[in-house]
Amino acid sequence: MAKPSPYLLVSYAQTNRILPEPYQRAVVGILVAAILLLPAFSGDYFLHLMNLCLIAVIGAIGLNLLTGYCGQLSLGQASFMAIGAFSTAILAQRYGMPFFVAIPASCCAGALVGFLVGLPALRFRGIYLAITTLAMHYAIIYVLTNYQAIVGPSASAGITVPPPSIGGFLLTSERGWYYALLIAAAAVLMFSLNLARSYIGRAWVAIRDRDIAAEATGVNVPRYKLLAFTVSAALAALAGSLGAYFTTVVTVEEYTLELAIIYLAMIIVGGMGSIVGSVLGAVFITLLPYAVQRGFDALPWHFGTTIFGVQQAAIGAAIIGFLLFEPDGLIEIYRRIATYFERWPFRYREIKASSAR
Amino acid sequence: MSEIAPQAPLLSVRQLEVVYHDVATAIQGVSIEVAPGSIVAMIGSNGAGKTTTLRAISGFLPAEDVAVTDGDIVFAGHSLRGMLPHQISRLGVVLVPEREKLFGTLTVRENLDFSLTPKRRALRNSVLDYFPRLAERQKQVAGYLSGGEKQMLAIGMALICEPKLLLVDELSLGLAPIITNEIMQILRVINRDLGLTMLIVEQNVAAALRIASFGYVLENGRVVFKGEADRLLGHQDMREFYLGDGNAGSYRNIRQYTRKRRWWG
Amino acid sequence: MELLVSILALGSTYALLAAGIVIIYKASRVINFAHGELAIVGAYVFHSAGFLTGTTLTALSLATSIVVAAAASAFFGVAIYLALMRRLLGRPTFVAAMVTIGLAIILKAAIVVIWNSRSVGIPIGRQAVYNFAGGGRITWIDVISVLTCVAAFTALAIFFQLTRLGRQFRGAAENPLLAAQRQVNINLILAIAWGVAVFSAALAGVLFGSRSMLSPQSTIIGLSGLTAALVGGLDSLRGAAIGGVLVAAATYLTARLISPTLAETVPFLILLAVMSWRPWGLFGTVEEINRV
Repeated sequence: MAKPSPYLLVSYAQTNRILPEPYQRAVVGILVAAILLLPAFSGDYFLHLMNLCLIAVIGAIGLNLLTGYCGQLSLGQASFMAIGAFSTAILAQRYGMPFFVAIPASCCAGALVGFLVGLPALRFRGIYLAITTLAMHYAIIYVLTNYQAIVGPSASAGITVPPPSIGGFLLTSERGWYYALLIAAAAVLMFSLNLARSYIGRAWVAIRDRDIAAEATGVNVPRYKLLAFTVSAALAALAGSLGAYFTTVVTVEEYTLELAIIYLAMIIVGGMGSIVGSVLGAVFITLLPYAVQRGFDALPWHFGTTIFGVQQAAIGAAIIGFLLFEPDGLIEIYRRIATYFERWPFRYREIKASSAR
Repeated sequence: MSEIAPQAPLLSVRQLEVVYHDVATAIQGVSIEVAPGSIVAMIGSNGAGKTTTLRAISGFLPAEDVAVTDGDIVFAGHSLRGMLPHQISRLGVVLVPEREKLFGTLTVRENLDFSLTPKRRALRNSVLDYFPRLAERQKQVAGYLSGGEKQMLAIGMALICEPKLLLVDELSLGLAPIITNEIMQILRVINRDLGLTMLIVEQNVAAALRIASFGYVLENGRVVFKGEADRLLGHQDMREFYLGDGNAGSYRNIRQYTRKRRWWG
Repeated sequence: MELLVSILALGSTYALLAAGIVIIYKASRVINFAHGELAIVGAYVFHSAGFLTGTTLTALSLATSIVVAAAASAFFGVAIYLALMRRLLGRPTFVAAMVTIGLAIILKAAIVVIWNSRSVGIPIGRQAVYNFAGGGRITWIDVISVLTCVAAFTALAIFFQLTRLGRQFRGAAENPLLAAQRQVNINLILAIAWGVAVFSAALAGVLFGSRSMLSPQSTIIGLSGLTAALVGGLDSLRGAAIGGVLVAAATYLTARLISPTLAETVPFLILLAVMSWRPWGLFGTVEEINRV
């Protein structure tokens, strides 16, 4: 009997598979092995960068669920992260709560704030929503600034967070953090991939593509918009909370509008509406400043302290470059390459599904 | 009136092909010629591709992610394919669109003066002569005009652009038949007075063919029928399918109608 | 009285910023998030041009910097349109808005790299015009700010209402495709919009810089300008003027009466209030909310 074509799908379960083809499963297997073995071959500095990337991955996935999937443009990501970080700092430092209490509690705090910030989304779309979240950002940061001034040792010094202990094991080394963050990021990744292919994910995409049509086909638009804000803010708070533990100090100055924009840059560069894309974008944007520094260190002339400006400019240029020339992000480049090899030796021209996006 | 002038056409569309968003072919090989000084009508039902043809001629399509994939559009020796809308209208090919045909937030006077240059002042007076109703309403905001007045203003605005070829899309849309006829008659007068060539797109076939000298019938993105206006008016199939005075009395005839229609398209 | 003059002077800066945002918004439905950065970069250029030859501002160097900053800002605005925004025609407007966010980051970085984040002030018009009995005073720059603002808005009003290009601009703002069909070059209109907007931003930046010190952090005034534009209504120039004064008044009074730290947040609180009460602004068009 002839073998059925691998492209023939006979059930909905097959269309929804995360990794439909055998070679993809193989690639992912190798990748997972490489990621797990990475600490054996690299120094603390590199692992530190990887840890920053992993935290960014969690935040970027959260933002992509909201902006990439549900189409709600948000500049509030930094404030959600600040909420998570401050909740953790308060719980861990003032009340001595353990790691496994502080983290979920911070996520809940973030979810609550996300819900509240999401309320205006029921009224606005697009840029107006972005402006509202921008104002929300400053309002939240103002509250936290005052709080920090009251609670912290001084107005500008932050709140220190004690290192977390997991099962009697104190988490301080970069390697320990690497595996802890890897587990967290992998859990968030699996959660989001599954969420995106469920009814909820499809409802979000429907709202993004045309909210009126989504409503007409039976999607409860207000509920799913708020759900998107809640889930996104909870993930951002998780990133902020882990970041607070990781850096051991929380200051409000860290959570600027620039940070929110940097997260936006991650999902633009990675690919709007793609979970894997947000991973790529988070790694790209997190490493970009270090790559710029390395690049300029190799050059004969030096920028000195202004290298900071060059790093920032590189992020700005990445945003503009991707929006102009590769609006679907790094994931689209990957898809093109993958398709090329998959179809080789045949040429393959993709049909644009719609011009609306 | 029913003769085609022997000289070269002012506008010739050759084997035009238009594809929407890389997927849907809206126009598949339409060829149309418009002789100088004539009124040519393009008729057909919804979705036949009439409006798309007009928008292709006036250069609107690239802005809407619609591509002209094949064929050529030649106006007075210039190829219009790939030109920008304002360049095309500066050549003298001016469109009166189907909807959103005027600036609703500007006054009537401002609309008329939109493309006014000092040289064109006399032109504005003659436009006001053709459409005396506009002269009375110059201070009004154009968005609050009635449907017929809006159409007159839109045509007036187009005339001030010094057109050599006027493209009019669905003049009758949303208008009472009596107003449609009134404006059609004015178009005919303008055509005679100024020798202005016109290409009009209409669903109101009878009204269009009454002022046109030549007609093209489009179906599913193709020209299925063409001929001099009075021939089309008298043609049996045209009467049956478009003019509505065929004698389809019984169910049997209606069945024959659908079969014939399928055969035709 | 002194309070009123200060509010009007600050308000005119915000109003000029808001005017630029409104012009770009009207022409292309794009909200320019880089407006504050453009203003501050303009002010830095003005400062550098003025102090190119000496350490004090003379009449000659002042004239140089006015000419250089005016030309550079208008040219830069046109360049932004031609290099970036033109490519985004036909794409969703929030994409263009995100491009302006990227532009904002680059401009702010440029201040860091080119001017080394140096904090500078523009020393013009610091002398008093009039001293109050209580100790307050009105300075030349207060007068210049208000007069410049009035002149700029008058010029814009005349341009939009009375000239052919202004008429075409308003038409193109409403329906660009029809305007193109009526022989108007849309690219020209949009390039002019960006040129005028960036010029007015630089003007606001210079006025701001002659009142307070310039630093990369000053770029936050862009958000005050955006608030002013939203308070007045994003598509209304008249609204921009009134919104500018209102935002300035609220900020100034909070700083005076409550606390300076709260004053930094006041524009955003106003923004939230406007968004929940009257999101289309005082003079804006209601339908605009659903257009972007």
